Amino acid sequence: MEENTDLAVPVPPLRSMTMEKYKKVIAFFKELGFRFDVSKFDDRLIAQKLVCLLDIRGIDLGYSCSLYVRGPYSPDLTLDLYAFTREFETLETGSRLTPQEKEVTGELGRIFGLKPVSLEVGATYGYYTLRQGSDPLEAVRQVKQLKPFYSEAQIALGVSKAKQFLFTPTEKDLEALKEETGIWQRASLTSLEHRDE
Amino acid sequence: MQQTRDDTRMQNDILSIFAESEGLNAKVFSLVRLKLLASLAALGPDGATYRELKAALDINDGVLFANLNVLKDMGYLTSEKITSEGKELELYTITPEGQAEWKRTRTWLCRFLRCGA
Repeated sequence: MEENTDLAVPVPPLRSMTMEKYKKVIAFFKELGFRFDVSKFDDRLIAQKLVCLLDIRGIDLGYSCSLYVRGPYSPDLTLDLYAFTREFETLETGSRLTPQEKEVTGELGRIFGLKPVSLEVGATYGYYTLRQGSDPLEAVRQVKQLKPFYSEAQIALGVSKAKQFLFTPTEKDLEALKEETGIWQRASLTSLEHRDE
Repeated sequence: MQQTRDDTRMQNDILSIFAESEGLNAKVFSLVRLKLLASLAALGPDGATYRELKAALDINDGVLFANLNVLKDMGYLTSEKITSEGKELELYTITPEGQAEWKRTRTWLCRFLRCGA
């Protein structure tokens, strides 16, 4: 959060990069139809978790998220939300999303909507699994430990949404799924054959 | 002989580091208060709710509430009621004085522990 004032040679901030950074986030918010209001706690929470979910998904917005008492969080984003409040609240931006970014934003909006609890649980679960390498069961336990004030149902929903948004099934996953469901498919086909006899 | 000179220099350094601690608020030096200041300093004006602090720092209600109040009384934190998802919660935010005290404390601790600050 704070600048290191002990540096012997002051380094001027890369102004143009910083500007591009927050403008890109505004472009994402605009695409999601998110009308940000800095005075609302839930809006600040939604902003953080949206950016962290995109970060975990591999969309680099320049705001890296780490684990804080509020779960995955970017202090740099907080600074910009307060420094450029007018731009965030009016969705004023010169930045545009690429087709791929639009597609990911569409998925994010469709899966999570702008629901603070699901976003918070989903981002936290995604952080534990994809950033810290926890296995799924351990990640759920960690989410419950960090967010004990959410119900089992809220956690299950958030985790399920995170899986939908963050995990693309691999060939191996699809093969395992085919194997798992194959036995039932064959049984149902056999049963149909017997009915026809 | 060399060893003795190094020891003397170290002692002098230690004494100057001790002398620098006079500008610090000794009441901040408890593990719970340091954890609270460090956590809230990172969040800046956004703050954290009571329930988030309690869960993440794993501190029981009595200790947490008492220490938050001490930091509030010293002017390092403020609290306000907010509404999240229809629930009323207590939000704690660090003040500019709290940020400054945390920065002083952190810098001094780093000097004391020789971690390069």
